[in-house]
Amino acid sequence: MSASIEITNVTKRYGALTVLSDISLAISAGEFIVFLGPSGCGKSTLLRMIAGLEDVTEGTISVDGVRVDTLPPGKRGVAMVFQSYALYPHMTVAQNMSFGLENIGVAKAEIEKRVRFAADTLEIAHLLDRKPQKLSGGQRQRVAIGRAIVKEPKAFLFDEPLSNLDAALRGRTRLELAQLHGRLGSTMVFVTHDQVEAMTLADRIVIMQDRRIEQIGTPMEVYRRPATRFVAAFVGSPAMNFIPIRDAVMNGDRLSIDTAGLGTVSVPLHLPPGFSPEGAELGIRAEDVSVAAAGAPGIALTAEVIERLGDRTLIYGHLEDGTKMTVEADGRNATRPGDRLTIVLDTSALHLFDKTGAAHHPEGD
Amino acid sequence: MSTENTTYRPESLTANRPLLWIAAFLSILMMAPVAWIVGLSIKSNQDLMLGTETVFQLPYTIANYINILHSSQAFGWFFNSLVVACGQTLGVLVLSSLAGYAFARLEFPWRRTLFVIVLFGLAVPEQAVIIARHQMFNWFGLHNSYIGLILPNLSSAFGVFLMTQFFRAIPKEIDEAALLDNASQFRIFWKIMLPLTLPAQATLGIFTFLYAWNDYWWPLISATRKEMFTLTIGIASSQTNFAQSEGLGFLSAQAVFASLPVLIVYLIFQRHIVTAVSGGAVK
Repeated sequence: MSASIEITNVTKRYGALTVLSDISLAISAGEFIVFLGPSGCGKSTLLRMIAGLEDVTEGTISVDGVRVDTLPPGKRGVAMVFQSYALYPHMTVAQNMSFGLENIGVAKAEIEKRVRFAADTLEIAHLLDRKPQKLSGGQRQRVAIGRAIVKEPKAFLFDEPLSNLDAALRGRTRLELAQLHGRLGSTMVFVTHDQVEAMTLADRIVIMQDRRIEQIGTPMEVYRRPATRFVAAFVGSPAMNFIPIRDAVMNGDRLSIDTAGLGTVSVPLHLPPGFSPEGAELGIRAEDVSVAAAGAPGIALTAEVIERLGDRTLIYGHLEDGTKMTVEADGRNATRPGDRLTIVLDTSALHLFDKTGAAHHPEGD
Repeated sequence: MSTENTTYRPESLTANRPLLWIAAFLSILMMAPVAWIVGLSIKSNQDLMLGTETVFQLPYTIANYINILHSSQAFGWFFNSLVVACGQTLGVLVLSSLAGYAFARLEFPWRRTLFVIVLFGLAVPEQAVIIARHQMFNWFGLHNSYIGLILPNLSSAFGVFLMTQFFRAIPKEIDEAALLDNASQFRIFWKIMLPLTLPAQATLGIFTFLYAWNDYWWPLISATRKEMFTLTIGIASSQTNFAQSEGLGFLSAQAVFASLPVLIVYLIFQRHIVTAVSGGAVK
């Protein structure tokens, strides 16, 4: 079973403090949506409002076309997996999973059937008689998911469920969650501050910052065409390079942008109406900057720190005017700190950000 | 880390040998009166009239204990103590748990203020309210009744404080998970929260039971009829004269008899008591 979720003009205030401001979002049935943002951006609060653990100050939330923001959490037809798993410590795994079903008077045989199904799905059938303290972190995580599955909810809500797992287990569980979503076809809303989780799991990512939504889009949309400077800086590792600009003028059908660090670059972009170069920046990802052969024409960069990741090398350095720049090079690159390099930019991959942070992308990208 | 470093080494005890001697000396000091009473209880009253040093000489007898069975009212008093201590323990556990849960988890007007008022209860000595309490119980005709003996100690400021702190320490997500599991407020309290506070319940229960069993002050005021005496009052009333020159063995036997439940409670819950006294530092 899966259901759509509509969030309409939702605001959340604690007294005078506004933590979410006029949020609207439509989630389709069966969609995997990820709320991504830094700590304190309001993403967990929004999830908790869908779950019913926080009141809605203004606006409405509907699940499957039925308004739920006035209903208690247990009546909304959603199940939640908490960051801390929140398993009942004194109950066995089976009791943890069946507690919610007992509360709504599901027949014993049906409870057993559902618990068995969930346990088999998550490969925890051999743990059913154990108590949570006898389980590893990964196993607890599965039980928490199992507790959600048995309820056959209209939507699953995940509040940073992978953040307590070690790196290897996190990767594996991420994959299993994607498989689970494929198998159950349920609507899933997932909160994280980890962009890898967001990029790999989401059908669409909702990027939040400072009480509001910055951008909603598919993982590749938010990566390739970030709506704002914040999204460009937040999504992607290493973070996008930003170069302050001095002036921009149209030159034929290309925009000629003058910068201190890069000199003048020509970008396949039209000058946005009312654009002012003051406070504006150019953005380019490290992967769109390459190291040129020695003596070739290009821009000078002095390397400061080198990160060797095996398959690629990240070179952190500065341009002649001191602007910081990160370059992604081949894994075999032998640059050392202090080396002077020549770099070349893929100008079709440049993004222009005006002083409000709004992005302008080259056509066709 | 190598296993050698983590292995417990008995040398650390020998290194603290002076401390060990002090502990042993203090233990003997504490045990001596207990051993003395037990010794007196197995001597005949006639022997003891010659002098209590006869405790170190044969013969010994269990006649005093048999006398308790036949002649004394100790069994009645024992029963009274049991009713009062169990009643008080049960009452304190129920009230403290409910109040603690409310203070820790429910939103209601004046919650903080009320909690502070409860905490003030910790600072009020029993002696300060005893006359007013006596007067009240007199008006309601509650003296010389189980209710009269149990009721005053049910409102335990310490119990409410302990349970509130314990409920507060339970992660809020557990309640929230139960809310999403469609559990009612009472079901969350009964099926989830209460079982999680069992260690605190055990601590509070043991202390309440021991306090109630050994309580002397209020039963002395409230229970004036012999059949309503608790053990502590009963034994005190059995003293024949100030110097206690006669019936000393019998009196000692009653004292030993009175201590048995406390000893049993202690033996069963030893681990909990040690944990409670050490403030949870010992696991």
